[in-house]
Amino acid sequence: MKKKLLVLLAVLSVLCFLSTQALAIDLPIFPNKTPQQMYFRIVTHGGDDPYWAVVHQGMLDACKELGIKADMDFCGGDLALQLKRYKEAIAMGADGIGLVLNDNTVWDQPVLDAFAKGIPVVSLDTDDSDGAKGNARLCFIGQDERAAGRMIAERLFSKGKSKGMDMKKAHVAMAVEEPGANYGVMRSDGVKDVMKEYGITSFEIIDAGGLESATVQSRQTSYLLAHPETKFFIGLGGICTDRIASSLKAAGYKPGEILAGGFDPTPGTVAGLKDGYVEATVDAQQYLQGYYPIVVLYMVRRYGFKPNNIDTGGYLVDKNNLGNIDKLSPKHIR
Amino acid sequence: MNRVRKLLSSSSINTMLIFVVLVVVFYFFTPGRVFVNPRNLRAIGKFIPELGIVTLGIGVLMICGEFDLSIGSILPLCTYVFITMMQAKLNPFVALLAACAAGAALGLVNGLITVRGNIPSFITTLGTMMFWKGFLYVFTRMMPIDLRTFLPPGSFFEKVFLHEIGGSFPIQVVWFLAVAVLLGVLLHTHRFGNRVYATGGNRMAATAMGIDTGAVKIICFMIVGVLCAVSGVMETLRLESFYSTQGKGYELKAIAAAVVGGTFLSGGRGGIGGIFLGILVIEILEDGLIMMRVPVFGISAFIGMAVIVFVLLNSFIDRTRARRRSAGSNNGEG
Repeated sequence: MKKKLLVLLAVLSVLCFLSTQALAIDLPIFPNKTPQQMYFRIVTHGGDDPYWAVVHQGMLDACKELGIKADMDFCGGDLALQLKRYKEAIAMGADGIGLVLNDNTVWDQPVLDAFAKGIPVVSLDTDDSDGAKGNARLCFIGQDERAAGRMIAERLFSKGKSKGMDMKKAHVAMAVEEPGANYGVMRSDGVKDVMKEYGITSFEIIDAGGLESATVQSRQTSYLLAHPETKFFIGLGGICTDRIASSLKAAGYKPGEILAGGFDPTPGTVAGLKDGYVEATVDAQQYLQGYYPIVVLYMVRRYGFKPNNIDTGGYLVDKNNLGNIDKLSPKHIR
Repeated sequence: MNRVRKLLSSSSINTMLIFVVLVVVFYFFTPGRVFVNPRNLRAIGKFIPELGIVTLGIGVLMICGEFDLSIGSILPLCTYVFITMMQAKLNPFVALLAACAAGAALGLVNGLITVRGNIPSFITTLGTMMFWKGFLYVFTRMMPIDLRTFLPPGSFFEKVFLHEIGGSFPIQVVWFLAVAVLLGVLLHTHRFGNRVYATGGNRMAATAMGIDTGAVKIICFMIVGVLCAVSGVMETLRLESFYSTQGKGYELKAIAAAVVGGTFLSGGRGGIGGIFLGILVIEILEDGLIMMRVPVFGISAFIGMAVIVFVLLNSFIDRTRARRRSAGSNNGEG
């Protein structure tokens, strides 16, 4: 009996060792494969949102510079569709895959499946909440969303405090296009972290009604009219931020009466920064989230480099450093 | 007198009752009576007409027995035509005409495929919705376009569509009423209106009567296309930017508004008065619920429930009236 137990323990130990070895197995490299012979696939949950147009431009520019072929999938928030596209990329034998990890559990096995077929996978834009511990992807390329939320909150709340606002009575409204989406949850978590530091307890996350700008504006305006206690208004996504200035104007507020900010430098946000309705916005520098995955995957595939995480953002934009944005936005770089 | 009765059909009166009840409820139950705050009324006076103008066209199309799910794609595509004409430095009124021509052409395509192909409009417009959206994204790359680059603020064109009469009454309401009156006259007094009802009520009988039902349907599709263009341009002027996601989700809201206004899904019944009130009901419902400080995440659930309740109420009142009329005529005969 004792002997049987020892044998069982030994087998289990070998199995555990092998499984860890499976994760540490080196992916095949192709030092003689030219860039022109390589094909990468970037599988995103993005959709009809100008944010992804900039990511796409980054990917296209990297491909042009390296001479690589790549495609980007926009699955419009449909996780099942995104999984399908990912599996198609594996079946096609893509040389590398860039993936948005917009779910903490769904992607765990599929990423291992890609490795088993010798295909490197990096994540971009959104990572597993537990990072490398939660998913075996080679690295994450993107903005730390929680840190970005903290950044904009710190800017707004510190301004509010300097204006003599009673932070204990302040109400924070956060509008999001897609309630429950990872980007909104992580950014709002960052905002809440800073709220604790400033003693702010009252907040509400608003369902802005999707990506349709007029709907977002009407909901935000109605909210502002119904909640005069609002002192801070944060757009958790680009469209909500874009409509902040117009919503505040429609609700009868003057610039600076409500401290507002958010994410992405879209035309409405830039106009709001110039008018003083928007205090600041965080630029995720998403161009780099399309550019770097191509370069990293190429280096991994050709030479076997082991990549590290690349933090692409956030760059705080206010009316003092708008110049660059104005010039590069029409080129889909900012 | 008959014409007035036709205009104020039983379903219109039902919808009018629902509208009045909603206004009274929101007046009394919104904190500080903020629903009737002039700023709120001004805000809803600006955004209701944008969906409203399109919905009037959708309602007419539904009366003739067809649907158009592609308005969420036609609207931004026509607006893109407008923006492109502005980029080419054309007069904005000429650009608007070009956008309307594009809308008419897209409506014609929908009509021709449905009528000549003998395909249900639900399927035709589902396909064209996806096709036009993809077509638009290829050209716009999903990036917003700042209108101010081509149209300075305060221009005559902008005043025609965005002015506040007397400093407070949005001119968009005037346009909405004008379109409603125009379509009302067409539908309820003109021969074409009779043909629309006949086509929707019983296509075979209408054909036997010598009505070219195919032509009637095609014209209705084209009306929807033109109204999409007008609405899209008005929306772009108000938002000060063009977005590829403009009009997203309008198709279902428009159908819901028309149904709440008493338009039959099967065609042949409905009226401009009811459709007009249906739009008001759907739009002020969302605004009023937010004003009542209902958790914004639950708004969609409330609106969905309200649509079902209103339609059931409409149906119940219609059946009750029909029973009373029938009982009354039986007594008369006895």
